[in-house]
Amino acid sequence: MIQLTEETRAGWCIVGVRGRVDAESADELEAALRAAIGANGKVAANFAGVDYVSSAGLRAVIQAARAAQGKSVEFTICSMNAHVKKVFDMSGLHQILHIQGELPC
Amino acid sequence: MLSMLEEVVLLAVDEKNGGLRSTREFGTAYALVGAVFFDLALARKIDTDTESIQIIDTKPTGDATLDRVLAHMASRSDLKTVREWLEEIFQQRDDLEGEALQSLISQGILRHEKSKLLWIIDVERFPLVDNKPQQYVKVRLANAVLSDDIPLTRDIMLVSIAEPCGLLGYVLSEAAMATRRHRIQLLCNMETISRKVTDAILGLETSMRQAMTRVV
Repeated sequence: MIQLTEETRAGWCIVGVRGRVDAESADELEAALRAAIGANGKVAANFAGVDYVSSAGLRAVIQAARAAQGKSVEFTICSMNAHVKKVFDMSGLHQILHIQGELPC
Repeated sequence: MLSMLEEVVLLAVDEKNGGLRSTREFGTAYALVGAVFFDLALARKIDTDTESIQIIDTKPTGDATLDRVLAHMASRSDLKTVREWLEEIFQQRDDLEGEALQSLISQGILRHEKSKLLWIIDVERFPLVDNKPQQYVKVRLANAVLSDDIPLTRDIMLVSIAEPCGLLGYVLSEAAMATRRHRIQLLCNMETISRKVTDAILGLETSMRQAMTRVV
């Protein structure tokens, strides 16, 4: 289960994500990120409330980043806890995704 | 759309003579198991984290191979890690390859030929009837490696399965692979399943080298 929120701040669309990002929630997350990417020039996924991410969750984020790349939308993932960041780092995703310690605004 | 398993097997078919190419035979078998896990993941039947596989839906997919593997997985709740499951399904490697070949034949992509070498040895070949699906797989692989764009999920999976069993070398030149080594490693590292396939192949090669050393 995940909870998603969306707000606009200083030109950024912030998609707040809370809960487990796994096979059950991956499609919902990808759809929310794609919708934000389709409607905004700058999108930040706030992962501060994410406590678990599986391979399906990582794929959802990668495909959202792919959509952002295709539309030349600035896309960043922010505020991961240490456990979730370790999963991203193990997969080498810091090399293709823009990952920040804090929200851009 | 072909399954990941069918795409990997199709990639192993020599387009000139229909022979099945496998530079590292057991490595290819591990890759086939990895491809089945990817098919199940794409069908939202299993999910993985850094070490383990979780079965999330045991309802059949309609694909006989996937459903057999899924039913087997559902019956063995004692196995948890990706590595344990790779070794378990590895025992079914001949079925996986045979079923994928049969499916490719029934879809009109390959045909089956049997002949004798020196009137004694049975030789099986699978010449291409329609070369477009194999070309499509090759183009996707090449694009995923040679471009700096973020690839589609399926193409990340395909690269990460083709590379550790030596099939990428049939699509790209050695020079291209050397130039894009970092990119290939990046794509191979993204998925837990392919990391464990690579570990399994390396472990197997190490064991075989040690066994050969003892024999010599």
